[in-house]
Amino acid sequence: MSRETSTIQRRKERLDRGIKVRTEGLYALTSWREMFYLLVPRTLLIFGLLLSPFFLEMYWQRVLCQAGIYALLALGFDFLAEYVGLVCLGGAFFIGSGAYLSGLLNAKLGWAPFFTIPIATVAGAVISTLVLLPCLRLRGIYFAIISFMFPLLTVYIIIALNIFGGTEGITALATFPNIWVDQYLILGGVIIALFALRRLVTEDIGLILRSIKDNDQAVKASGISITSYKTKAVFIAALLGCFGGAYLSHLYGWVGISQFALDYSILPIAATVMGGMGTLVGPVIGAFILTPLSEALRGFGQMRVVVYCLILIGFIVYKPEGLMNVLQRKYHQFEHWEEV
Amino acid sequence: MLEIKNLMVFYENAIAINNINMKCEGGKVTGIFGANSAGKSTLMYTISGIILDVKKKEEMKGGERITILGNIIFEGTDITYLKPSERAKKGIILCPERRRIFAESSTLENLKIGAYLATKTQAKKTLEYIYTIFPPLKNLKSREGGFLSGGEQQMLAIGRALMAQPKLLLLDEPLLGLSPMMEGMLARSIHDINLQTGITILISEQYARPILPIVHHGYVLENGGAVLEGSSQELMENPDVKSAYFGL
Repeated sequence: MSRETSTIQRRKERLDRGIKVRTEGLYALTSWREMFYLLVPRTLLIFGLLLSPFFLEMYWQRVLCQAGIYALLALGFDFLAEYVGLVCLGGAFFIGSGAYLSGLLNAKLGWAPFFTIPIATVAGAVISTLVLLPCLRLRGIYFAIISFMFPLLTVYIIIALNIFGGTEGITALATFPNIWVDQYLILGGVIIALFALRRLVTEDIGLILRSIKDNDQAVKASGISITSYKTKAVFIAALLGCFGGAYLSHLYGWVGISQFALDYSILPIAATVMGGMGTLVGPVIGAFILTPLSEALRGFGQMRVVVYCLILIGFIVYKPEGLMNVLQRKYHQFEHWEEV
Repeated sequence: MLEIKNLMVFYENAIAINNINMKCEGGKVTGIFGANSAGKSTLMYTISGIILDVKKKEEMKGGERITILGNIIFEGTDITYLKPSERAKKGIILCPERRRIFAESSTLENLKIGAYLATKTQAKKTLEYIYTIFPPLKNLKSREGGFLSGGEQQMLAIGRALMAQPKLLLLDEPLLGLSPMMEGMLARSIHDINLQTGITILISEQYARPILPIVHHGYVLENGGAVLEGSSQELMENPDVKSAYFGL
């Protein structure tokens, strides 16, 4: 067929912006424009988070604290799922162990929150890792099921043995001096965790973890112990969750079995899907959208869950790649029609 | 029977198939030869429609954008944007690369799954025909697909495709990873299938030596474009083909 008879056909071409390519190396430092290109999205996020308490009422400031905890959990979930290949539904276990440790230290030994939180974070992460250690050989749905069971298991142990205050929990814990400390502690935690993880996944250890996700046999064949690396990854994710838990116990001055609630396992997944799997910043943004959204929908009464689900389903059906993947593409690439 | 006009396929901005025009005549064996990355598999996926499925999946996860331009005409109707299942109903059956047999089903079950589009009598007749053309399968009826050897798996994959009553059988790299003896045997079987049943066959293969003698017409692809075409004899005598595919 000759070219003349066929109509002119076009296709959309998608190209990286020149400035994106220039800012990938040391060359980014050559001009203000390149540096602005890199800094604008990051500054928007950091200052957006840090300044948001000033524009919120008391009630929404509380919601912000809650959203921060979910953001930490979502960050840990995304890190484990997309960079290590472990689908971990144990968010509630991380929160619960961090909260109970911190609560016990505060109630029994009378330590101040600023000692109990770091200790509970590390000790809780160690406990969580030890508990999950025997299951690390499992992958995919099996690991998800096992990690999902641990929070349920712990709740019934606490109820059955009537330890740690049983069903009533531990009350009258020390709280933070004022709401500004509340907010900036968790916001600072989220920002530090986010940028630390982003750095971590581009280092050598991140490379190994991603390879474990792709093909663990090939990694073993390279002489690397995958169990030790998986353990480290779970420890890092547990650190985030346990910090959230320890913080939570002092936020409300109370620890109870509701801190093992399945919300802490499930909502981070929704936030990750909405924000964009594998972007790390996506889940954080997802959590800061979804948590206030679920509060705002309280006006709908019982219909709240329905509306919430519809929004999620809409996202999964129409934008399954997630918010952040779309935004990143729009920022870094442009499209134009090209005749072929 | 099958005509491809000005076909172009892009994976994002990379061109996989560049303006290919080709024809597949009814009742004949047509060969597509080319090295890795020549675009053979993409061409097979485009003809069988699998590429539309890949395209959809990539769109969903925001990955590569696949663009298909040009026309594929099968028996006088344009099928460029027809769903893969509809194409199979029209008689275009793909025997996929790397066989893709159902590893946990037995040999007989694999063949039966292939017969979804056939009537009962057709299926029975084809099953007997497959056992005459691939005798080893007869003794392996209850063996799980995953436990078959590479050659047996390939026979099974071709058999499964035959069960769907193809008018046009697409064989994507049927000789992948087989021993020279097995290659010769399979090439003869493919030749027999074409002679005995009259099914039009389109083979893509990078290892041309056993296949070239059995094709009626062949195309040589390079970097997505068709650089050479001709009858089996013409291709075998072409000095470039000789040096590239026969090592002479």
